[in-house]
Amino acid sequence: MGTLGRVLYTVGFWVRETGQAVDRLGSRLQGHYAFKEQLSRHRTLMNIFDKKPEISDNAFVAPSAAVIGDVQIGERSSIWYGCVLRGDVNYIRVGSETNIQDNTLVHVAKTNVSGNVAPTIIGDKVTVGHNAVLHACTVEDEAFVGMGATLLDGVVVEKGAMVAAGALVTQNTRVPAGQVWAGNPARFLRNLSAEERAFIGKSADNYSGLGATHAEENAKSFEQIEGDIERRKKVAQQSDDYDSHLGIVREKHPDLAFMDKSGSKGPH
Amino acid sequence: MAGAVRCQARGAGLMRGLARIASSSLPIAAPTAVIGGRILQRSDFVTDSGFIATRQQCREMSTHVSWDYRGQRQMVPLGGRVPSMAVDAFVAPNVVLAGSVEVQDKACVFYGSVLRGDLNKIVVGFCSNIGDKCVLHAAASSPTGLSAETQIGKYVTIGNFSTLRSCTIEDEVVIGQRCVIMEGSLVETHAILEAGSVVPPGRRIPSGEVWAGNPARFVREVSYDEIAAIPRLAEGIREIAESHMGEFLPFSTAYLEVEKLKKTSALAA
Repeated sequence: MGTLGRVLYTVGFWVRETGQAVDRLGSRLQGHYAFKEQLSRHRTLMNIFDKKPEISDNAFVAPSAAVIGDVQIGERSSIWYGCVLRGDVNYIRVGSETNIQDNTLVHVAKTNVSGNVAPTIIGDKVTVGHNAVLHACTVEDEAFVGMGATLLDGVVVEKGAMVAAGALVTQNTRVPAGQVWAGNPARFLRNLSAEERAFIGKSADNYSGLGATHAEENAKSFEQIEGDIERRKKVAQQSDDYDSHLGIVREKHPDLAFMDKSGSKGPH
Repeated sequence: MAGAVRCQARGAGLMRGLARIASSSLPIAAPTAVIGGRILQRSDFVTDSGFIATRQQCREMSTHVSWDYRGQRQMVPLGGRVPSMAVDAFVAPNVVLAGSVEVQDKACVFYGSVLRGDLNKIVVGFCSNIGDKCVLHAAASSPTGLSAETQIGKYVTIGNFSTLRSCTIEDEVVIGQRCVIMEGSLVETHAILEAGSVVPPGRRIPSGEVWAGNPARFVREVSYDEIAAIPRLAEGIREIAESHMGEFLPFSTAYLEVEKLKKTSALAA
């Protein structure tokens, strides 16, 4: 979209603005003041002019997350509650089966004076912990970014590398494959053990499954949610112990199976 | 007899004071506590104002809802403290401005930030910007005798995930990502804080210095080029904010969706 697109966009803005004003006038005439109610204008997916987020169908984006501008999210990835992915001045690419956990911030470099605007590229099967900040960096496949870690401009986390929780990786640092970096500023700590390497893959698997469950629950309509509450109440009154003594076999509703299945074990 | 009554009255005053200190709905442990001549039961709750409620009443009074169709309100006035926003300021839709918060002209507050001026005032100055997921809070009083208001001057850039509490930031300052600035500290003109620095309470960052680390330490002097670049950086971010502003009409159309929901009676009118 070039200049013509921009013109159409601006004219469209004016037309919609006028339409809204007429609608408000109508509401006032009718004596309806519903338009005055302060409603949240938060949008999960937001364009910036022609930069539009592209989310694959089976990815999970939490309703409280904000995915803005030129962002692509791959298959079975999950963006958790309160995340902000802001691809306004450059693009963000998130691979498949990657999880970006709650409250994480993924940015691209803003207009800085030197003009080095860099994208953020996150590979496949990456785990990014809660509260992390990823700023114009590259995280390769099967890497792990711990909770509360900060990755500044130009950082490269190589395949299978790990940034420990709370670490601050300074500008243009390269975290080599198979290493753990920690601290502020982040330094090499040790090599990754085989167990940890296996855990990274497992974590990605766990999270894509969990994301699917959350996506399903968040997509529920009002009636479905109310139905679930009723069903849960019914189940709460029943005791499996009591039932088995009397030889009663009850069918469990598939919607309530999740809690029973995982119990306290839970994914990491 | 009179002594007993006085004793009871004093007890009641004490309990009311305690109730004020404790958060609202705390159950009273001792079943024999007396408030306003009424013997409290284990199941009773005392609210902030000393109001006694039974568990049942408490449930009815509860303001907690699991889902609100309105979402989070952007501006939350608290009594006489009302947030204000200049017409050409950009405040992202999921930002919360609570209490006395003043966002001045051309200032921008990005996604997920919280500005909570419930105890004191917060001012975001001209052309300053606050990154995503920042928390700005103001304490009731400051340990240094400086104003406990959170004041942010002109052309200030505050990085993502920063936390500022009752501090004064002068004009043309850059604060990196994930900085924590504690109460009563002062960051002077042209100072730069690097990413992840923590400024302890009452610390002064002198003019034209770069500080970093936890706790923040002096690194070097700011060069002339950098000083010239600071307002340009703020203006650059302002331009980005303008591209975001273009996505929002002055009024939201969300009420149309709500009216639709109300028509299908999915929402109680």
